[in-house]
Amino acid sequence: MSAPGQPRFGSVDAARGRLTVREVDAVASARGLAPEDLDVRLRADASSRRAVLALFTVAIGWLIVGTIFGDIASIKLHSPDFLTQQAWLTFGRVRTAHLHAVNYGWGTAALIGMSLWLMPRLVHTELKGVRMAIGGAVLFTIGIAVGIVAVLAGVNDGMEWLEAPRWLAGPFLVVGGGLIGLSLFWTVASRKAEHLYVSVWYILGAFIWFPMLYVVGKWPTYSGVESAAANWFFAHNVLGFWLTAMSVGGAYYFIPKVLGRPVYSYQLSVVGFWSLAMFYSLNGMHHLVGGPLPTWMITTSIVASVFMFIPVVATAINLHMTVVGRFGALRYSPTLRFVVIGALAYTAVSLQGSFTALREVNRVTHFTHWTVAHSHVGGYLFVSFIALGAMYYIVPRLVGHEWPSEKLIRWHFNLVLAGIAIYVVALSWAGVAQGLALLDPAIPFQESVRRTLPGLWGRSLGGLILTAGHIVFAYHFWMMLRMPERATRTRPPFHEARPVLYTAEAEAARR
Amino acid sequence: MLPTSLAIAIVTVAMTLVPAVLLFWAWRRGLFRDLEAQSRVIFEPRDWRVERPWESPEDRLARKLAFGPPEAAAPGEWGGADRGGAA
Amino acid sequence: MSDRNDLMARTSLVALGAFAIMASAITVLVVIPRMLLREVQAMPDLKPYTEQQLRGRAVYIANGCVYCHSQQIRDPAFTTDINRGWGSRATVPEDYVYDRPHLLGTMRTGPDLINVGQRLPSVDWHLIHLYDPRAVVEWSTMPGFPFLFEARQPNEVRPGEKVVAVTGARAPKGVTIVAKPEALALVDYLISLNRQYPVADSLRATDRMAVGGGTHGAGGTHD
Repeated sequence: MSAPGQPRFGSVDAARGRLTVREVDAVASARGLAPEDLDVRLRADASSRRAVLALFTVAIGWLIVGTIFGDIASIKLHSPDFLTQQAWLTFGRVRTAHLHAVNYGWGTAALIGMSLWLMPRLVHTELKGVRMAIGGAVLFTIGIAVGIVAVLAGVNDGMEWLEAPRWLAGPFLVVGGGLIGLSLFWTVASRKAEHLYVSVWYILGAFIWFPMLYVVGKWPTYSGVESAAANWFFAHNVLGFWLTAMSVGGAYYFIPKVLGRPVYSYQLSVVGFWSLAMFYSLNGMHHLVGGPLPTWMITTSIVASVFMFIPVVATAINLHMTVVGRFGALRYSPTLRFVVIGALAYTAVSLQGSFTALREVNRVTHFTHWTVAHSHVGGYLFVSFIALGAMYYIVPRLVGHEWPSEKLIRWHFNLVLAGIAIYVVALSWAGVAQGLALLDPAIPFQESVRRTLPGLWGRSLGGLILTAGHIVFAYHFWMMLRMPERATRTRPPFHEARPVLYTAEAEAARR
Repeated sequence: MLPTSLAIAIVTVAMTLVPAVLLFWAWRRGLFRDLEAQSRVIFEPRDWRVERPWESPEDRLARKLAFGPPEAAAPGEWGGADRGGAA
Repeated sequence: MSDRNDLMARTSLVALGAFAIMASAITVLVVIPRMLLREVQAMPDLKPYTEQQLRGRAVYIANGCVYCHSQQIRDPAFTTDINRGWGSRATVPEDYVYDRPHLLGTMRTGPDLINVGQRLPSVDWHLIHLYDPRAVVEWSTMPGFPFLFEARQPNEVRPGEKVVAVTGARAPKGVTIVAKPEALALVDYLISLNRQYPVADSLRATDRMAVGGGTHGAGGTHD
């Protein structure tokens, strides 16, 4: 029982997310803040805490699993006798397991966690339907696991990015995802904020779009080349309208928030959001340039891919002009380090994509490792970096203390940046060499294979360095979750409002 | 027989006209009235005032004049762990 | 309470706008093509897959062959697939009518396979190649699929079973390799891959956008 006038923020109750109103009000008045201001943020964080930490834990688990699958797949490409005895480890299955684990396991779970934390903060209310969100997260994770196990067992639906068997994994994914979506929509519907910040549009959009894409992708009656159109409609748009949408939404929040400067031009945010939606949605057929589809479809996608420079430049101007002159902040804030580089990567990968969609470029790069390298600039250097930056910001605010080891943060960042740089450079080079060789009929096919080998070895090296970085981060995250409560009593919890702290008297009064 | 060029023309017109119309409607509806205020919605008073070690003296002064005296950063706020200093 | 109304309007605008944009893209790139492509019919030379070939196709899918092999020949005016000997003409939508789902592929770590049945028609070659690619193609980086085969003692081979004559330095010693049904089915599927027959009135060849009533062969004039 605390003594009157000696508010005890950071008590055991606070660490468990069960703040009392009295405590919050007392802290607010001590800080000179209006109670409703402080109250809202603390309530938002307290309400989303369990769902978000659960999703982050699951995400990081999939990151490790997915990265290991990726390492195995990568090694097999230059050392094909590696692990060939077992059917479940054959390249064609392990590669798919990697793709699902990192995109639907890691990326999706991490960004959903970020969204569930961010939305209550942005609309100034608690997360509604917390149990739905947590239940949904559990079911969704089961669905991903079922899908991956099925793929490894040789049961898959046959289309890239859509392999998880619809009748086995589908029910878990649909129900689980639906519950999470309901929680999110309910939260938005209960909004108390005066304005809808741009990140709300992106996240809301993502949760409206993904179900639509899933229905299109998993429709059971396709055949022939229409199945190819539907396949790449889904696969491309799941990047743009699911992973990219949430990532850009995150970048629009974390960059200004940490810097303490509003976004450079909010008008550009409007342009960026709607033009992204309009043009990205028509891009999908650029995966099929030269393929057996009506030419008008492919041309539409190439045109839309080039128009993409509008939203990409709008977002780039917005985010980069917000940071310009303050790049020194990257030395201090791990959040900014990851999110700003992620935002730069978004610009780069999108411009690279527009360029690659052009027929003249595509005839060199199609069917080569260039595309794989490009997808990793997007999926890793852009999406994953933003997810990691978000985690570096969010996790301390949920567990009530800062990251314990600055060295581990630096190791993580250095390892993964080095890893992805080696990865992308090696594999892009291999892809171009392969593409140029394939284009020249005088060069035998085996030469195209031979020329990729150094790049493939380089990619394996990059991948192993990434794996090391992920293990470092996973360990650090585990430390955060497991740090004893004692730690919150000797150091001030890391939170927006500097708390009125433990003093010796308060400690004594409590006993 | 629809030539490719017509497909491009139709798609381009649709992709520019439709959003232009919608944006115009939204503007008339007054949804873009207070965009600057919208961009500030994510900030709390502390975000304006907390000390950021990378900022120049001019920036700090501008903050002080606009928002009041600076608050010290919590330990670990910039960079993790106890130091709160350069990574 | 114009603020609340504005907020309602804004949220609805975002939600409805997002939905509408995606719905129109689905219409343009999935629904309309589906309607158009319904008119596509297989050429008489293209037979539906047999049961065995479908089983083989399922093995192809189960083991992710599509992640290294494509199944499409691009226009010779555009690129050099034909010069490379992978086919005599570009493939068209009519070639894929019986493919559920498509296996067009996006990587050529290995060669294109849409005409592999015409290029490599030997069952024995494929069986050895699937068991150990480097036994027949020494520069290959394709993985072996030994789990599609069984290693037996030489006297345990039953009549009617297919023995795979692996020879050379990499051959397994003291055992006889027998193909499992999955391997035989897969090879049957691979050998069926042959789209060299001529096409006259492909949807692609004339780039028609006629919806309904556009049966092939009905005077498809070139514009």
